[in-house]
Amino acid sequence: MVGILKVPTLILLALASLTSATLAQSEPARYHLNAGLDVSYIDASGHPSWLEGSAGKLRYDGDNDGLLVSRGYVEYGYRLADTLTMNVNTEMYLEDFSPTLDLTEAYVEWRPIPRSANRYQLKVGAFYPRISLENSDHGWSSPYTLSSSAINTWVGEELRAYGAELAVSRRPAALGGAHKFSLHASMFYNNDTAGGLIAWKGWSLHDRQSRLGDEVPLPPIPLIQPGMWFDAQDPFITPILEIDDTYGYYIGAEWSINKRFLLRATHYDNRTDPLGYEAGQFAWETAFDQLGVKATLPGDIGLIAQWMDGYTVWGRLTDGIHAVDVGFESQFVLLTRSFDRHRIAARYDHFEISEQDQIPLDENSENGHAWTVSYRYAISEKLTLAAEWLEITSNRPAWAYFELAEKKTEQQLQLTLRMLFSRH
Amino acid sequence: MECAVGHGWLALPRNTLMNGWDLMNYWAMRKQPVYQVGQLTAAFMMTLIAPVFAATLEISIVDANNEPIPNVAVYVTQAGATIADAPGLTVMDQRDTRFEPHILVIQKGTAVEFPNSDVIAHHVYSFSKPNDFVLPLYKGNPHEPVLFEHEGIVTLGCNIHDHMLGYIVIVDTDIFGLTDEAGTLSVVVDGSKGAATVNIWNPRIRDKELTQVVAATSKSVAFSLKKKLLPAHDPDTEAMLWSEY
Repeated sequence: MVGILKVPTLILLALASLTSATLAQSEPARYHLNAGLDVSYIDASGHPSWLEGSAGKLRYDGDNDGLLVSRGYVEYGYRLADTLTMNVNTEMYLEDFSPTLDLTEAYVEWRPIPRSANRYQLKVGAFYPRISLENSDHGWSSPYTLSSSAINTWVGEELRAYGAELAVSRRPAALGGAHKFSLHASMFYNNDTAGGLIAWKGWSLHDRQSRLGDEVPLPPIPLIQPGMWFDAQDPFITPILEIDDTYGYYIGAEWSINKRFLLRATHYDNRTDPLGYEAGQFAWETAFDQLGVKATLPGDIGLIAQWMDGYTVWGRLTDGIHAVDVGFESQFVLLTRSFDRHRIAARYDHFEISEQDQIPLDENSENGHAWTVSYRYAISEKLTLAAEWLEITSNRPAWAYFELAEKKTEQQLQLTLRMLFSRH
Repeated sequence: MECAVGHGWLALPRNTLMNGWDLMNYWAMRKQPVYQVGQLTAAFMMTLIAPVFAATLEISIVDANNEPIPNVAVYVTQAGATIADAPGLTVMDQRDTRFEPHILVIQKGTAVEFPNSDVIAHHVYSFSKPNDFVLPLYKGNPHEPVLFEHEGIVTLGCNIHDHMLGYIVIVDTDIFGLTDEAGTLSVVVDGSKGAATVNIWNPRIRDKELTQVVAATSKSVAFSLKKKLLPAHDPDTEAMLWSEY
């Protein structure tokens, strides 16, 4: 594990241990640091995992059964000024894929004091687009389940914005203060390969996020094998990469009522030239719409649902047809309830990919669904025990290319002890 | 018959909404009485030289469904009545990432302290001109009290915790308070002076007619609101984790 700790993680840990704890009780903390380690027992069955260079949808397959360190993370925030904070998040995994650093996000956030009923927020750096309603815990993990939904697993695999996001929100006084409306817009670079994994690997459910610079394995699809048409593509994809020097954007709107209801709509377009290519990586033009709702239902039951619908295209046009042209769609509904230190959650995911192109040997369609049930128990502030059962049933004709059954139910049991270390 | 000192004296516990424990802590913290001695003496002197006809006026407020509305700011102005000096200080606390009380009614010229009783820092501000102010990020009670010299509604926020919302209602009278759970409030007016103008305010109220004028000798005044109330500001939910932004 120590071998995969990279420079930023070590610096952050060093900073945390060196920063003196001599701040007066009344003085606001200058920084916060949350570090965590997940030790898991895995029992999985399914196709060999895509993270092992095959095409299965789970993070683990039978080869990983047993005890392992599934995740380490460090989340560090430093207050540069009262309204200006710097945030650096790192993730560590045994499947390392050699990112230069372990960073998942690094950005500065400015929240000026409102001078009117409008509140402005500006983020600059590398950060997650504002899409997930699920990953609100430390290190972009979910407080409800161990794995993320199909939608947010994909967000973690391929989406990251290198740029700026401006958000403006307002609580109209005429609505009594409970309602809040926000608009946000972002211009970003470095997301030109987003879409490759959804097309060639399909939807997945797991808890691994791509780090900036990760080279994530692609399934060994025929099109990119040596001697085939697109063998210039590396056998891996660098999800967070700029190829055509054109910015992408996302815009979104939110409406919330207290902390009980939130509705968010987003449109994302990486505006990538699908003919782009650079050093082993082809560019993917990817755009989607997404709608999310988060609400507290009667009986204190929490609900999160998201829907995403988009397309990704790649490669040269032949008679108006791209080499790869797929539509992707997914929805999930998650219900959760906490009982003191216990929390239960159940999620249903549905996902689909539709093939629009006619290129032989590159069938990318799929459809499937997944059930996730999870239980977690907060032993103490520093220790959480979590158990999750995940079952994905899918039909993906491309699995035949790898001599895998086209229809498969993949299952994964994960028991995790999460150790949290916090300093302020 | 009560005497005029009742106005100022009764006003304190009512408008600060502190419970006994808070009040003791608060006094211990300040190491000084909330009232200036001179003020009390002056008020006491007034009772000797100018006895007035104190009359109790009960204000009751119900919504469109005839349900009582608690926590409504009520303030009464009276033509020709003498307004006592504003009490020196009162408190708007921050506890469990909430402003306590949610609504504070004060007399113009009152200073308000904003102690932070949470372990995390807050960054309190208001953009409500001309009573706008900012208290830089803090824990404990390091800032000087804020003196409010203009009438009006002050909307409070925390720049770190966007869901924190509180109000200070600054009034130019010493007759004010908040309705209780039964939607009622009793105030003392000067029965020997002119008509009493009763004003009410709460962020949930959508009605426009929020003022009634009654004779100084009236025993009660009732507000029956026509429009449905807006949802209450209620940041509490255990069901899910919500990010601040």
